[in-house]
Amino acid sequence: MPDNILNFSLADFFFNDNPDVLGAPSDFEEWMAHPAVRKGFSFFEQVLLEAPRVSTRILSNLDGREHRIINLTSYNYLGLSTHPEVIAASKAALDKYGLGSSGAPLLSGTLDIHVEFARRLAEFKGKEDCLLYSSGLGANVGAIQGIMRKGDYLIMDEKCHKSLVDGGTLSGAKMLFFAHNDLDNLQMMLEKAKGKRILVVVEGVYSMDGDLPKLPEILDLCEAYNAGSYIDEAHSTLIFGENGRGVAEHFGVEDRIGVSFGTLSKSFGGVGGFVCATKSLIRYLKGYSSAWNFSCAPSPAVTGGLMKALEVATRDSSLRDTLWANVSYLKKGLEGLGLDLGGSESHVIPIIIGPSGEKLMGYAGAMQKRGLFLQPVDFPAVPAHARRFRISVSSQLSREEMDETLTIIEDVIVKGAD
Amino acid sequence: MTKDEIIEVIKVVIEDNLDDVSAGDIDPRKSMKDYGANSLDMIEVVSCSMRELNIKVPRAELAELQNIEALADKFLEYTDA
Repeated sequence: MPDNILNFSLADFFFNDNPDVLGAPSDFEEWMAHPAVRKGFSFFEQVLLEAPRVSTRILSNLDGREHRIINLTSYNYLGLSTHPEVIAASKAALDKYGLGSSGAPLLSGTLDIHVEFARRLAEFKGKEDCLLYSSGLGANVGAIQGIMRKGDYLIMDEKCHKSLVDGGTLSGAKMLFFAHNDLDNLQMMLEKAKGKRILVVVEGVYSMDGDLPKLPEILDLCEAYNAGSYIDEAHSTLIFGENGRGVAEHFGVEDRIGVSFGTLSKSFGGVGGFVCATKSLIRYLKGYSSAWNFSCAPSPAVTGGLMKALEVATRDSSLRDTLWANVSYLKKGLEGLGLDLGGSESHVIPIIIGPSGEKLMGYAGAMQKRGLFLQPVDFPAVPAHARRFRISVSSQLSREEMDETLTIIEDVIVKGAD
Repeated sequence: MTKDEIIEVIKVVIEDNLDDVSAGDIDPRKSMKDYGANSLDMIEVVSCSMRELNIKVPRAELAELQNIEALADKFLEYTDA
């Protein structure tokens, strides 16, 4: 291994030169064993000892001890994973249906609770029909793979999630990536693909930057080039829009969206994913979306909880109002500290540290020691010059917890305390 | 190994990995994007070139490179090492 071992990252070991197909690359173990690399990885897979609430306990990989922490890393944006009504509904579904669906949805796995939840999601999103998947990643992979074919063009924002890229790879479609939110670049690619079957894919909230797509303008281009549109509202469903229907509602363009994707693991507080579209497309996907028709249907216990989560989050705006108040308070405090928050327009707030991985890991350790669980996000997940922390704001945060958070961030990142 | 020889290796790999591009037509002052490469294609081209040259350059050092010539310069640092 060369002297510049710390310049390497997971991006450097994807291609494997080990003649033993079941072995890791020859220098991977050596790299992973380096003390500085091990220290960096110690921030990952830390074990939570309680539910992923804002206030929870962690078994720290840094010192091997249990700590009570303020958790700003979980996606439990509305606190629904532990909402009492959601838990009760999940328990009731568990009692009625048992733990698993015991079958693929086409054969024996479809329960009335799945049909009803899919109906409610389609109605919520203003689409004709909905397909429920057991995983959010699976829903994106499965939907893209089910829609696109070799010879088609999949044009996506360069910051789209890996699940969308993997779906494209699996489909065999030609993939083009346009510079983030760059309409001229998108148009150039649409010109290139003109005359082919084209699907344009964007996200509602970009997960590492917290910014939004230029959705109305992107849809104008889709319509001008007769391209279909697909929006991944993983981070925006139940949060954006007057009724929580997502960024498409926020921009007033819901009826112009072809496919609306959502995950059930973030603001919904459970696990799974869904796509909403026309009846015709959903019927077609049931035949060709492998992540749906070759996977066991979602757990009924989870589905029961999710159905209640949808009801709780949409019967009034109280949870998202609290979330947005917290976003506003925290952002104001962070801006007051002079931190680089990128272009965040949402409850996902990056704190961009810069090119130094060492500094990033140093800050992460110091903040965790003081009781703030804020996961570092390193290259290749983000550009090497813009390593960062990512705050996931939750409606559960109290004013005291936000003040404590700001104090810890100020002490460690602004003042450089160990 | 000279920079020109490295550029020739990269050109051949680009030809192998991208549709409708022949090595002879590639201008090293341009970016792979100009020849229709997406980010996944670029990862493939860089990895195959490094394998061919028997070098390993951290991806973090490649992210800001603007064209094929700059990539060859970076590779040259490692072949000389």
